[in-house]
Amino acid sequence: MAFYEQHIHPKPTTFLSKYIFSYDHKVIGKQFLWYGIFFLFVGGLMALMIRWTLAFPGQPFPVIGQFLFPESGGAVPPDTYAMLFTMHGTIMIFYAITPILIGAFGNFCIPLMIGARDMAFPLLNMLSFHIAALSGIILLGSLFTPLGAAAGGWTSYPTLSTLIGSPGVGQTFWSLAIFVLGVSSIMGAVNYITTIITLRAPGMGYFDMPLTIWGLGLTAVLNAIFLPVLGSGVMLLIFDRVFGTTFFLAGAAATTGTGDPILFQHVFWIFGHPEVYILILPAWGIVSDLLSFFARKPAFASRATALSMTAITILSTVVYGHHMFTTQMSPLLTQTFMTLTMTISIPSAIFFANWLGTIWKGSIRFHTPMLFSLGVVFVFGLGGLTGLYLATVTTDLYLHDTYFVVGHFHYTMAASVLLGGFAAVYFWMPKMFGTMLNEFWGKVHFWITMMGLNGVFFGMMLVGYGGMHRRIYNPFIYEFTQKLIPLNTFTTWSAIIMGLSQIIFVVNFVHAVFFKKEKATANPWEVGTLEWTIPSPAPHYNFKDIPVVKCGPHEYGNPNLTDGRDFQYQTEELV
Amino acid sequence: MATGNLTLNEEKIEVRRRALTSSVAMSIVMVSFAMVFATLMLGYFAYRFTSEVWPPMGMQRVDLGLPTVSTVLILLSSLTYFLSESSFLQKNSKKFKAYFWLTFALGIVFMAVQSWLWFSLKKNGLFVGSGVFASMIYGFTWIHAAHVVGGIVALLCLIPSVRNKREEVSTSLWLKNIGMYWHFLGIVWVIMYFSLFVY
Repeated sequence: MAFYEQHIHPKPTTFLSKYIFSYDHKVIGKQFLWYGIFFLFVGGLMALMIRWTLAFPGQPFPVIGQFLFPESGGAVPPDTYAMLFTMHGTIMIFYAITPILIGAFGNFCIPLMIGARDMAFPLLNMLSFHIAALSGIILLGSLFTPLGAAAGGWTSYPTLSTLIGSPGVGQTFWSLAIFVLGVSSIMGAVNYITTIITLRAPGMGYFDMPLTIWGLGLTAVLNAIFLPVLGSGVMLLIFDRVFGTTFFLAGAAATTGTGDPILFQHVFWIFGHPEVYILILPAWGIVSDLLSFFARKPAFASRATALSMTAITILSTVVYGHHMFTTQMSPLLTQTFMTLTMTISIPSAIFFANWLGTIWKGSIRFHTPMLFSLGVVFVFGLGGLTGLYLATVTTDLYLHDTYFVVGHFHYTMAASVLLGGFAAVYFWMPKMFGTMLNEFWGKVHFWITMMGLNGVFFGMMLVGYGGMHRRIYNPFIYEFTQKLIPLNTFTTWSAIIMGLSQIIFVVNFVHAVFFKKEKATANPWEVGTLEWTIPSPAPHYNFKDIPVVKCGPHEYGNPNLTDGRDFQYQTEELV
Repeated sequence: MATGNLTLNEEKIEVRRRALTSSVAMSIVMVSFAMVFATLMLGYFAYRFTSEVWPPMGMQRVDLGLPTVSTVLILLSSLTYFLSESSFLQKNSKKFKAYFWLTFALGIVFMAVQSWLWFSLKKNGLFVGSGVFASMIYGFTWIHAAHVVGGIVALLCLIPSVRNKREEVSTSLWLKNIGMYWHFLGIVWVIMYFSLFVY
């Protein structure tokens, strides 16, 4: 139930108030979308350079290599390689996935799907984007510092990230950028939670919210609780680097009284494990909704799905130790963390079964958003199952720090979230920009992406199982890895295909946003949630009259429906 | 008359809206801030409980004098803030203003004493780089001080209320929300005082 009704604000008229300093959640969502897509390109290019180096060590990177690395004849030099994987991870996690899934779709969907006119705090929302932009500038600026950007991995473990490991100012910039971005995300989280609690349309209980909102809300809860932990950690790291404290510096002989590098790992993973759920929860929510929308069936056990997501959110806070099995933790602790981690399989299995239950015997419409959603089901299933081997102490001791880990977390975090993000873009495109993306090219984009993506990440898991370690510039100096060269070449070609296929999306997207004449109808997908009751694109006030919600978000295929429709709007009484 | 009643009613709804929204949001903000300091305390206790002697490496304990003064000051400022808020609610404008400025002054004096503490530590040979004990004393008090500066800036946001330039209901909400933060800083300092300096 809404606590109150927001006023309709006058329409902004100037360029600045409309596109730059906009208070409108939809515009801020689009700002985050462009921001995320830009960083997705930067991070993706870095990924291709990493892959190129692993498949063709010492050979010049095509086209732009000569320009970027003139001193090594166009090949990626070893120190740059470390920077590339560090910045690739950082950019993809904090500057691409977070802005697209949470920043763009969080901002865009929350007020529209719960029947509000805007966020609870529009000014805070605007500041949140501008602070994120500042953080992006700091991070990109670090690429141009004398010793280059941060090169200690996205986890920035000391001693790699202290002045001993990274003497350049790049690592300090990295820490500062993450801190600033954390502030931005917390501001967003405060806004999201407050909006969801106070601004739901009359009649909308928590279980009448679409599962997308559940996912985004739970993400915001995790953000508000755990980003400050990372904030503290990187702030102490900055103190170590700038003011000479010794929190994470163990002395040459590590006598008592010096700091402890492992402490940073604890702080980092207390944040870091919830972070992986911060990234995946919005995608889960979106997919749970889209599967029902396009299977034309009510979401199977949607309450159980919502509650399993909540259970996972809670469990995610107590499993972080599984990232640190090899840090000489006490066996009692490793076993505890292993058991707790395994417990996550139970709620995961519940909502995964619910997904399958939703599409079971549905009249599935294979539109592009549905293809991407089914893609998420596939890659998340694969990624989730391979997680069990990493959660088990005995197998993790072998697999730790190999490419198996890289493959696993790319399947769960990167592939699922990327496909989920694309599903969301294709799905909400008419409401965001007023035009549809081209279906044919959308499907081509899906299939090439899906094949490329599985080639890359499955290849990674195989070479990892074969023993190839991550973060090594040239793993093939070891005899046992030389047999893995063909597999690495295959992985790289898959990555190149996947990377190039994104051009299809970019062309399709830019065309639809700027050049397409044909306008979308108000409800092209025939979906009943609140955002589809208003015109496309959504007007700046969203709802002229605040809607009154009378049924759930997934009412499809009700045999009592008579007027030729197979769905009903949330504003209609259940027939 | 009817329109008059309606406006009154709308005003009530507006007040209720702002009260509810801000209390929800401030609670979340407080959780976030609490996690910042909880992380620091986690780190502190990890060192404290695993170290055989404390302070380590033969370092001297910090003299309790100045931290105690700080503790008294910040607790007093919480008290004066509380008195200021309750005088406002009792519509005693004079007392409200007096206690507000007293709170503000106590905040500034607290910062002065903290700076004095840092200088005296340095004079006694405890430098930022002298091991993890010094790092924690300096680092944690810096972070707390930065938040106190934020709190003082927040107090400045109350000046329109003090100068009667803000509606009564608005002021009561501002007072309540900034109060949550100000008292929070006091609680954090007391925890830090007992764990870092006394224990």
